[in-house]
Amino acid sequence: MSNKIALACIIDDDDMYVSLVKKIIEAKNLCQNLMVFQNGKAALNYFEVILSNLDQKSIPEIIFLDLNMPVMDGWEFLDNFTRIKNKLGKAITLYVVSSSINPIDIERAKSINSVKDYLIKPVTIDDLETIFSGERT
Amino acid sequence: MLISLGMLQNELFNNVIRDVNAGYWELYTDPDKEVWSQKFYEGIGYAREELESTIDYFLEHLIHKEDVEIFRDNFLNYRKNNVDFKQHIKIATKQGDYKLFRCATNDQLPVNIKSEINLIFFFEIKLEPDQDITKDNFYYKETAQMTSTGSWYVDFDKRKSYWDFETRRILEYPDDYIPSLKDSADYYAEDSRQKAADLFFNCAMVGTPFNTEIKMVTANGRIFWVRAIGKPVYNENKEIIGIRGVFQDIDDIKRKELRLQRSMDIITSQNSRLFNFAHIVSHNLRSHTSNLSLLVQLIEDIDNPEEKIELVNEVKQISYSLNTTIEHLNEIVAIHTNKDQEKKVIKFQDALNLVMSGIGQMIALSKTTIEADFDDLEEINYIPAYLESILLNLITNSIKYRHEDRDPIIHIKTYSKENNEYLEVKDNGRGIDMKLFKDKVFGMYKTFHYNKDAVGIGLFLTKNQVESLNGTISVESEVDNGTTFIIEF
Repeated sequence: MSNKIALACIIDDDDMYVSLVKKIIEAKNLCQNLMVFQNGKAALNYFEVILSNLDQKSIPEIIFLDLNMPVMDGWEFLDNFTRIKNKLGKAITLYVVSSSINPIDIERAKSINSVKDYLIKPVTIDDLETIFSGERT
Repeated sequence: MLISLGMLQNELFNNVIRDVNAGYWELYTDPDKEVWSQKFYEGIGYAREELESTIDYFLEHLIHKEDVEIFRDNFLNYRKNNVDFKQHIKIATKQGDYKLFRCATNDQLPVNIKSEINLIFFFEIKLEPDQDITKDNFYYKETAQMTSTGSWYVDFDKRKSYWDFETRRILEYPDDYIPSLKDSADYYAEDSRQKAADLFFNCAMVGTPFNTEIKMVTANGRIFWVRAIGKPVYNENKEIIGIRGVFQDIDDIKRKELRLQRSMDIITSQNSRLFNFAHIVSHNLRSHTSNLSLLVQLIEDIDNPEEKIELVNEVKQISYSLNTTIEHLNEIVAIHTNKDQEKKVIKFQDALNLVMSGIGQMIALSKTTIEADFDDLEEINYIPAYLESILLNLITNSIKYRHEDRDPIIHIKTYSKENNEYLEVKDNGRGIDMKLFKDKVFGMYKTFHYNKDAVGIGLFLTKNQVESLNGTISVESEVDNGTTFIIEF
């Protein structure tokens, strides 16, 4: 993989899920660096700091966002993120990854511009490989 | 012209009856004779000299056959025994048809005419073509009684209220009760007085008619629901001179409606809880099964046997989480199957003591002060396990989310208000941002703080317990100032 993703980001409160995805990424060598936030608020704080010093290397190319989280859930994060994402000066691909199979959630997520796609948990290793290789459209 | 003649003296009598647009007989004794007034002759189209003014002639030639017997009895009884009477009679006119009169002695008149001689008045009843007054009266009264609909009139000129028999009946006042305009607010239940005042004021001032459901109070102090309909009455100058309307007793219907509304609210809330629960089950179980599936994929994909064994260990963790989740779900299901458990009269203090001894260490370590005031309401008929669980959850919640700058103080208070029983738990903790979390406070696995021990199950259970016994729980909170939970049992 020539243009491997440099930085990916997971926003999810499920420790088990995060540690498993981490293992897959390491085992498959899918990206160079991975950062993890426990909820939307923590992630948003990070992006707001970046906004002030615009360090391109600290901006992830891919975000995996959970919906059900404490403190700030995925929806609220999306609201805020949509507002600042254009100022970051870098294309960020965002996937919603949730165990919700509620069609209302799926529709709602897909209708948001900054959401590339909605993945229902469990994700598969194949899914992750496809996404990281940039083949998924 | 019916005006109040309470002060009328004898010398004014002639003036007054001259103004009364009705014929009458003056009854003299020694010898017995009746003098028929000019208006009486005019009323039936005869001149004085055309008729013989005796009772026998009247019974024979003028009064309708149907009415003869009753009128004769009434007349003679009045003559001999001074028994007043009133009745409808038909009298033949010179033109050959019959006219209907309301016939009454002076004591039966709606005005107080003081007279030393006995009088019989004959008020002509003008009918619309093809209308029969006796039938009409019958229907009106029957309709009023069958539908419990009373009529009333408020006269602004005379500053008086008038009620018909049915209004008096549904409001449980005696037949001779004179309604008061000054104290008219007292006819309404306390919480309906403002509404009644607004409706009457608007109708009186700008002529807005009203049609509403409102609570009234009977003479015996019974509060009941009526439909009140009113409309302005205008004079020729288009000025509002009164309000006319009806009160209909709709207590039965309204109470049924309210009961129905209550059961609908309960069903709606149960349904939404069930839906919520199905969602929770699906979501919470899925998160574990998807982790399991991810883990299996990983185990299959990895070649290194040592790593494989390491991953197999993760199954333990997932299985533990899955068990915990299922325990939580069981607790919720248990609430709904246990709600028929026996209620007992429990003293709040006893329940609190039990809870506090269970979490004594937590209270001591956190330096929490608990101040309880159960003076207003000492005990309640409730499922003991629920009351303990509610107190436990609210207290531990307050301790968990205490303010970092101060020791927790929890005020617990019970009271009764308007037949409802309340429990209030107020803390000085860090509070919840109600703007952000208003809808989520009682959700499952919703936590609002970065706390390690925040599980997000306590308040969810509390809400389910309270609601399963038809109560409600609400929360008021301000960030940094503390949180108050109020339970209405």
